[in-house]
Amino acid sequence: MDADRIRAHLDPIRHEFADPRSLVMPALKFAQTEKGHLTREDMAAVAEATGYSPSFIESVASFYDRLYTRPVGNRVVSVCVTLSCMLRGADEVWDALCEHEGVDHHHGGTSADGRITIQEAQCLGYCDKGACIQVDAEETKGPYTPEEAVKLVEELREAPTPAELWR
Amino acid sequence: MAEYAPVDLTVENQVEFELDGRRVAAPAGTMLADACYAHGVEIPIFCYEPRIGPPIGACRMCLVEVEGMRGLQTACSTPVAPDMVVRTTTDAVKEAQDGVLEVLLANHPLDCPVCDKGGECPLQDRTFKFGPGTSRYVEPKRHQPKPLNLSHRIALDRERCISCFRCVRFSQEVAQDGELTMQERGARSEITTFSGDPYRGRFSGNIIDVCPVGALTSIPYRFVSRPWDVQNTPSVCGLCPVGCNTELTVREGRTKRVTGRPEPNPAVEEGWLCDTGRWAYDASWSQARITAAVVREATGDRTATLEDAVDGAAALLRGRTAGILVGTAATVEEAGIAADLAGGALPGAVVARMGIPGGALAPLRALPGAQLGDVDDADLVVVAGGDPSAQQPVAELRLRKARRFGATVTGCGPRPHALEALGTFIRTAPGDLAAGVASLAEAIAAATRPVVMWDEADLAGEPAAAEALAAAIAANPAARQLELGAEVNGSGLRALGLPDAGAVLDAVRAGTVDALLLVHADPLDAPGRAAWDAALEGFAGPVIAIASHADATTERADLVLPALTMWEQEGTLVSMNGRVQRLRPGARGPEGAAAGWELLVALAHRLGVVPGYRTAAAAFRAVTAGRPAFAGITPEAAGVLGVPLAAPAQVAGASAPPPASGEGVPLVATRTVYGGAAARRSAALADTAAPAELRMAPDTAAAHWVNDGDRVVLRSSSGESGRLTVRVGDGLPEGVVFAPLGAPGSPTEGVLPADMAPVLVRVARVEAG
Repeated sequence: MDADRIRAHLDPIRHEFADPRSLVMPALKFAQTEKGHLTREDMAAVAEATGYSPSFIESVASFYDRLYTRPVGNRVVSVCVTLSCMLRGADEVWDALCEHEGVDHHHGGTSADGRITIQEAQCLGYCDKGACIQVDAEETKGPYTPEEAVKLVEELREAPTPAELWR
Repeated sequence: MAEYAPVDLTVENQVEFELDGRRVAAPAGTMLADACYAHGVEIPIFCYEPRIGPPIGACRMCLVEVEGMRGLQTACSTPVAPDMVVRTTTDAVKEAQDGVLEVLLANHPLDCPVCDKGGECPLQDRTFKFGPGTSRYVEPKRHQPKPLNLSHRIALDRERCISCFRCVRFSQEVAQDGELTMQERGARSEITTFSGDPYRGRFSGNIIDVCPVGALTSIPYRFVSRPWDVQNTPSVCGLCPVGCNTELTVREGRTKRVTGRPEPNPAVEEGWLCDTGRWAYDASWSQARITAAVVREATGDRTATLEDAVDGAAALLRGRTAGILVGTAATVEEAGIAADLAGGALPGAVVARMGIPGGALAPLRALPGAQLGDVDDADLVVVAGGDPSAQQPVAELRLRKARRFGATVTGCGPRPHALEALGTFIRTAPGDLAAGVASLAEAIAAATRPVVMWDEADLAGEPAAAEALAAAIAANPAARQLELGAEVNGSGLRALGLPDAGAVLDAVRAGTVDALLLVHADPLDAPGRAAWDAALEGFAGPVIAIASHADATTERADLVLPALTMWEQEGTLVSMNGRVQRLRPGARGPEGAAAGWELLVALAHRLGVVPGYRTAAAAFRAVTAGRPAFAGITPEAAGVLGVPLAAPAQVAGASAPPPASGEGVPLVATRTVYGGAAARRSAALADTAAPAELRMAPDTAAAHWVNDGDRVVLRSSSGESGRLTVRVGDGLPEGVVFAPLGAPGSPTEGVLPADMAPVLVRVARVEAG
């Protein structure tokens, strides 16, 4: 994504941020909507649009879980594994999804067809709906049984990829 | 490393507090770590480095007990308070220190026996002094590929890193190059650049000095020596006129490393060095080094022993009237002894210095001067002309620090440069610095503690601007001037009263001298070289060069006496701010070479006049006696940190240059230290060497019918340049061309007059790009 598009995205929201450094986050999130992850060029464009050094932009991007500096699947499925969800069977949901997508049971990962990424999430704030799952940056939903979770990713696999990949 | 901030225990109204049962005092605002150190109590620190900026409390090593405060406090970020009760040796503190070190070492490889830092490593020392001695960790340690090349000169070993953030903060806060950051988080945190690119910075080497562990080490120094096998000598850098205080690491007669001083000089460089000053030392054994005397005869060149060569030089000079030209990097001793020859051994000799005549700068130099350290206290810093980041590198760091401390930065000049982002800068047309100066006068008058940095080369060529600037500074009694000099020892040579090189040039042309002795002088590579080329063309007398490296002039000389370099010899240099500082001999130098001052003394002996000194220190006393600028200054007084000259170093017998003549486009020349002449002699800095490029805006290129990549020559009323490659760049002012000084073959110097007067050049394409 080029710096001009990022600037155009930032201009209407600039006044909301007292510290200009805070603009780096919305800029990175927006830059990520194009490919679903941030390339070197994307981060350089964010640096140009925000006035910080590319290295600083990359340090921010590398700090946050939902900013991806490596390619991920078309859809990212985050499984909450914190206490409440774990007590309600998040481990089984996690195992079922990893098994179904053929990814590492310890770290999660992206399916071979590149459609789905399974990742762990810490508490998503939906303890009353555990075990809960968040798809990309959509609303978190639950509770899920392992079978329902597998059905969810099957539906995601068939559904068209959103035009903007907010994560 | 003195990592603690110096504490002045003599000021009034100090805060009294209790330290381990003792009643002590420190100025208000002093951090506990510094106050304790000043009172003889060492509190271990890793992340704290007051030169970098405010404390961040990242490493937790400095925990102490403060009565009434819950938990332990970080001494690096807790200021002293009245009647505070501080305990640094209680069980709770000891347990905390043990715990912190145990965690810091959890993943540390403990490969001290093969680590370059071993023996001079704060982590090692403090683990011995404050650590637990054993670890409860039995788990395997984290492994990383090692070492990585952070740049061509810096190795990064992530296993050893304790994430103290010193290097990151240096890059972000001090150098402000924005290159280094900590990426990822938690246990995966790692120091890196953008996408792992090489660290590009003019001051990158300082991160090696500030690293408290062996994570960042110098590649040229890798596995070269252990700290107990070396001798460290405090010296001064002689590559640019800033005069940074350095420490030479010497082993087996060679300089193996140059670092910032463990006890930095707050008035000059504050411990920071530019990369050129840090790594150029391998130039002392580079290809261009002259290791044996060369005698040029009709039958060809032959090498000679030093004895025979000095005999030969004396024979060539005997009975002749000599012109003696002293180069800008020559020490005070060399210049002084050379001047002394005229009074005895070589009667009637004309002695002159290379460099800018600078007659127009007298009113500026007469004003109260500031040292670089004084910039910290300024509320306004003005940069008149020049490009400090290229020409006086460490001045850039002082300027950035002043900005960090809240000073307003402003200035004017014909060049776009890196420091313009710090404040409001006015771009002046070449030759019209006066217009910029006029618009700065108001700000200077309104400021309470302004420091005006002015560029010697730019203002020497524009007398009107120099006069206006002097008037503006004089109008504010609190204002001080700080010269951004162009020559390494320019101030020293002026303080000795040497006239400019024109005196010798005129004598050569007029035929009143019939021999030429060059002391570290290279007129055929300097501005005004066209005139020297012409004058030497028909010069029949012998040319004798005392030089350390081969250059255009040693090629022309009939006899070359090999001299020592600044890393090898004793001497005195005067910085651009008139600070008298001593070079101390670190390395021995080649077998067939001798210090320039020794060669001159030997020459005097051979010519039958025995000078009254036999050591460099005695020579300093003798040659500076009766010079008002050097009043009261002895080698002892200069000590380790140097002293300012007693009076400004003014020039003798120089007149102001005429305005630009001829026709064409104005040329702005910049002498770059980073990537300049010193870098080209150094293998370690080879990748930084700046190419000979003529930079201009697209419209200017179109107006002169040249394209990016074309090879061109310039012609001015002073002569013709060597070949330069055209680089068309956006963001450059139109109607002006920029070229570097000190590029290979000295192309730009050919069109410039020695007095650095503004020139107009015509651009002629010789080869399409």
